[in-house]
Amino acid sequence: MKRASVVAPLLLIGIGLLFLARNMYPDLALVDYFARYWPTLLILWGVLRLAEILFWAATERELPARGMSGGEWILIVFLCMIGLSVHTVRGFESWWPRSGITMGGIDMFGESFEYPIAGETQTTKAPRVIIESFRGNARITGIDSSSVKVTGHKSIRSLEQSGADNANKDSQFEITGDTNQITIHTNQDHVSGSQRITEEMEITVPKGATVEAHGRTGDFDVNDISGNVEIVSDNAGVRLQNIGGEVKIDLRKSDIVRAVNVKGPLDLKGRGADIELQDIDGQVTIAGTYSGVIQFRNISKPLRFNGQQTDLNIEKLPGQVRMALGDFTATNLIGPIRLTTRSRDVHISDFTNSLELTVERGDIELRPGKLPVAKMDVHAHFGDVEVSLPPAAKFDLTGITARGETYTDFGAPLHTERNGNGGSIRGSSGGPVINLQTEHGKMTVRKATADDKPFAPEVDGPSTSAAPAKPLQKVEQ
Amino acid sequence: MTPGFLCAVRGPVMLITLGVLLSIDHFGTVSFGRTWPVLLIVFGIFKLMERSGARTS
Repeated sequence: MKRASVVAPLLLIGIGLLFLARNMYPDLALVDYFARYWPTLLILWGVLRLAEILFWAATERELPARGMSGGEWILIVFLCMIGLSVHTVRGFESWWPRSGITMGGIDMFGESFEYPIAGETQTTKAPRVIIESFRGNARITGIDSSSVKVTGHKSIRSLEQSGADNANKDSQFEITGDTNQITIHTNQDHVSGSQRITEEMEITVPKGATVEAHGRTGDFDVNDISGNVEIVSDNAGVRLQNIGGEVKIDLRKSDIVRAVNVKGPLDLKGRGADIELQDIDGQVTIAGTYSGVIQFRNISKPLRFNGQQTDLNIEKLPGQVRMALGDFTATNLIGPIRLTTRSRDVHISDFTNSLELTVERGDIELRPGKLPVAKMDVHAHFGDVEVSLPPAAKFDLTGITARGETYTDFGAPLHTERNGNGGSIRGSSGGPVINLQTEHGKMTVRKATADDKPFAPEVDGPSTSAAPAKPLQKVEQ
Repeated sequence: MTPGFLCAVRGPVMLITLGVLLSIDHFGTVSFGRTWPVLLIVFGIFKLMERSGARTS
């Protein structure tokens, strides 16, 4: 009797499920999960094979000469190569807490020793402050002064006190430079195996300062600075509030980027999860991959968002936009607006000028609200389209569905027509061109009623009040 | 514990060991560069058990 392994069919099912999940929720960060958890696949594979062999042995069937066939090993080698390269590319580093794993009361990885750090330097009213790359958190606050002051502590993980003392001596904290430009060095890289050292810094700078910070792992909080802020890090959460100048953020990985009240332009690049922007007076440019909840509120210059699945351009945003997994909700926008997205349900209310919308998969619901009605060009590949127009609106409307029902309660001048599996809604009262198209889905044009409320995205973002002074989180590594 | 059984089980157990070591590496506790000799040890133990199994039978 030929025994076929159960692994191959399971592998097929697994791959099928993965692709299905990707198709249903394109924003799911599957690659990230893979990069982090792929060795689990090896374990699962081994356990399955082992269980099979034990079962065969228990039922006293003939055992194969080898537990794993040559073909399987080749597959495993490929899996390892892919997994390792993805892991390296994604730049995963120590996110698992190194501390706290104890066995029988013996701390396997040493204990943490703390050393205070402090430094102060006189500067001009508007110096340039550079923070050299370090591991740990920094809170930078602008105050009325003409000095840069750093307080905080350094944690060194070591097996014994003397090792920590030596590491502390080798990584002396220092501030260099003149009154116009100063540099803060943590010198963590002077110690071999620098991952054992983290620094928690509270930095006060003159209000007019320009800050340039580099980090490896850890969070940045920047408050009340009228100069420019530039942050570059491998892995950081960034929170900014009351920034007078230009903001540039470049992160390889982040859990959150939050900016409230920025006067200058904001430029964000990289990969991450959540974004929250509020009260930005300059142009906002975002490019990268963000898998979490993205919220924009009150942006007075053009907003350009260039994501993996979604491109969004808005001329001005007095209202708000919220993008979450499979969903785009926005209200009170000034056009021209352009949105291209792969797979989201789109709800937009109160928009003006023009709207260009392309959605591959997802339902579209539009309530222009204001008069004159915005010019619209809407394309859906797979999904329903519903537009609510004010009774007094003037427009020249063509709504076509290639496969699906049509419905309108607007009355004259609109009329519906059946055409094979699909149909169309047409009519003109001489106004902006409204062009609606869907390949598969229902086409609805409704008369807006007083019950139609604007789509108010859930508010769980930054509040307008000052952020509570929370203690800096301890960096996990 | 026949030698055939040990031989059949060896592959999967090696694979599980490899997966565990790489997981530990990715979770940042101890790098694979330091733990890889565990694979040799596991393999060696199997060889040893096969030898003793062959002798007793």
